[in-house]
Amino acid sequence: MKSTYFRFFSTVLLALSLSQVAYAADAIVISNPGTTISAGEVKEIFLGEKQFAGGTKLVPVDNAALQESFLSKFMQMAHDKYNSMWTKKSFRDGLTAPAVKSGDAEVIDFVKRTPGAVGYVSSAPAGVNVAK
Amino acid sequence: MVTVKNVNVSRSRQGGLPAFLGATLAGLVLTIPAPAQAESDGVPLHGFADAGFAMHSKESPNPKGFNVGSLDFYLTPQFDNNVKGLIEIIFETTSAGEVATDLERMQMGYTFSDNATVWMGRFHTPYGYWNTGFHHGAQIQTAVSRPRFLDFEDKGGILPAHMVGLMANGKVRAGGGKFTYDAFVGNGPKIGMAQDLVVTTTQAPGTLSINTAGDDNHQAMVGLNLGYEFSGMADGLRLAVHTFRGDVGDDSDGTFSLTLLNITEVSMAGGSVAYLGNDWEVLGEYYRFNNKDKSGTTGSHSSWADYLQVGKTIDNVTPFIRLEKTVLSQLDNYFSMQDSGQSYNRQALGFKYDISQKASLKLELLNSKFMAESGRIAYSYRSLLTQYAIRF
Repeated sequence: MKSTYFRFFSTVLLALSLSQVAYAADAIVISNPGTTISAGEVKEIFLGEKQFAGGTKLVPVDNAALQESFLSKFMQMAHDKYNSMWTKKSFRDGLTAPAVKSGDAEVIDFVKRTPGAVGYVSSAPAGVNVAK
Repeated sequence: MVTVKNVNVSRSRQGGLPAFLGATLAGLVLTIPAPAQAESDGVPLHGFADAGFAMHSKESPNPKGFNVGSLDFYLTPQFDNNVKGLIEIIFETTSAGEVATDLERMQMGYTFSDNATVWMGRFHTPYGYWNTGFHHGAQIQTAVSRPRFLDFEDKGGILPAHMVGLMANGKVRAGGGKFTYDAFVGNGPKIGMAQDLVVTTTQAPGTLSINTAGDDNHQAMVGLNLGYEFSGMADGLRLAVHTFRGDVGDDSDGTFSLTLLNITEVSMAGGSVAYLGNDWEVLGEYYRFNNKDKSGTTGSHSSWADYLQVGKTIDNVTPFIRLEKTVLSQLDNYFSMQDSGQSYNRQALGFKYDISQKASLKLELLNSKFMAESGRIAYSYRSLLTQYAIRF
């Protein structure tokens, strides 16, 4: 009986730890092939503080399917706070909050065809730059 | 106390203009593409709305009962990589119960880099924190009321909350944080005297008017707001200094003649602190005036105004307290000719309850005391204000 419980809890713990790894590693930041950004610049870009890379206007887009993971990993911010921050920034400074795409496919399509676009996906496709 | 009927403060009443502005907004939403985004995305329309209930003790001049606050729409179109706009239109009820429409902001900008954007048009005057941070955004403001001296020109404010002119602003990384600046040059206000007055005392009936169509004198108003945003341990803290200077005239005989009878050189300097971190909200602003009578012989006069508000968010509730005080020289035409230029002190206590991310309920108690001064009657009153505010 004890070994059954042990196996059950071990399995649950293993599953939880694996899912935690997957959660933390979920969001990979990508950019249009003509735009190179570093991982250290991601927070500034999604806060609207960095709007240009060289002469190119940056266009960040959110991915609804991965937003919680991204905000936790790159922005250290909860979803509510992120939205409130953008409301204040948009109202005060006239900045436009990132458009929200429904998932990886939409983000990848947008990033590939839009100069300066920056998004995040669960796995990096070919034909885009990955922020490092 | 003054009772003013049908005061025209450059706001249109119901009719043609609201319909025109509504149609313009709708047109903008439908026709402006966001160039770097998918063409079908258009430009999102955002805004704020609020309604409330107020009770006052009997000496209060303010209306009581239920009230419709304001309905505010704004757009942030990006016309191309560098050209952008900020367009805001507001519908609000006056104390007389009429609906007024205002082209609140109409500023067209050009962004040179992350460090510099230049705007032209009508904008919120960048002094302190409150005026640009909250303005008509009731839902993002913890309190129901603004500090009275920072209120809108026609609602008790003594500063030009709006400006028509040029503004440059931006942020520059410096040390661990960021240096911020807002610099402006604009028409500057005049003190507009009410056209159709029923004056029950000798109190001055003037209201700041922002000269949207052009300046009424040959000296522009210029101003600067320099700040520093900290990072690391002090992330969320911003310290700033602000100043503005310009000539302000009034037509104090109420005849709307082209000759301004009093001209005052208004010089303001002060500072602000804002801390928005770890669920705390600490806001403080100080304004020192050293105004010079340029049309008479009364010389220079010093006045000051300040407030401090402290709040702390616990779960969905943010209780707060605010203290505000002004000492305004009545020898100074800039204050003596304004209806709201009477010295006062006020204490506010209340809370904001966030029902959701986009809807809040607020309750606020106010204790206001106005001082006996030359041409002014002392009075005091207490108020209870509630507000239901949303954003979209």
